[in-house]
Amino acid sequence: MTLTHYAFSSSYFMSFLGLIFYRKHLLSALLCLEAMMLILFISLCLWGLILASTVFSAGPMILLAFSACEASAGLALLVAMARTHGTDRLKNLSLLRC
Amino acid sequence: MVYMTYLLLIGLVLGLAAVASNPSPYFAALGLVTVAGMSCGILVGYGGSFLSLILFLIYLGGMLVVFAYSAALASEPYPEGWGSWPVSTLMLAYVLLVVCVSVFFSGGWFEGSWVTVDEFSEFALFRGDSGGIALMYSSGGGILMLGGWVLLLTLFVVLELTRGLSRGTLRAV
Repeated sequence: MTLTHYAFSSSYFMSFLGLIFYRKHLLSALLCLEAMMLILFISLCLWGLILASTVFSAGPMILLAFSACEASAGLALLVAMARTHGTDRLKNLSLLRC
Repeated sequence: MVYMTYLLLIGLVLGLAAVASNPSPYFAALGLVTVAGMSCGILVGYGGSFLSLILFLIYLGGMLVVFAYSAALASEPYPEGWGSWPVSTLMLAYVLLVVCVSVFFSGGWFEGSWVTVDEFSEFALFRGDSGGIALMYSSGGGILMLGGWVLLLTLFVVLELTRGLSRGTLRAV
């Protein structure tokens, strides 16, 4: 595996691990999701650039547009959570439940 | 040139370990900005200068600014940076994991092509990635329309989620 390929594969799995083992805030999990989208963007760009086939260069831009949609939906959920529970700490969701 | 790309790749992995170790969102957003900057440098190193510009403008200047403003919702009196014990342990664990797994994948480590994308072609006004993105407006017009429609729908999704007054999707908001 080449160095660039390994760097992007390992970064993708590392941010995926950061999403799985979230700690306190919902926003830090959303940031790990954004990091995964960034790595996907770079990988798609490099795929076309390294193989010198730049016809697919529009693919990463469409990915960026859909990633913006996903980020805004996640942030709207964060705002709704901050409105009802006062903060985005995930333990607050089950605090007053029996 | 190869050394610069190598350094940027190391910075990318370390910056993502800093984000994945889940510090307070202020610091995680800073780590993500650093990672985006490093990856823009890597894209330029491979010859995709227009894609790097798109990443800087749209991703850093659009999406991450919104994330930085939303970090105000995650305010706490003592934000945890990378000096606190759980965060630094997680970051060290992630870096060690990447280094140890690289032992198994080190076959062909330096065999990739480090040449920029238009190095061996003639002089042209339309460089590789700019010419490729121009196809989004001609042959890819359908996906362009679909992307615009999806963005408009997302606006309505966000407005509906945060509508409030107990008439939206989440009744208690």
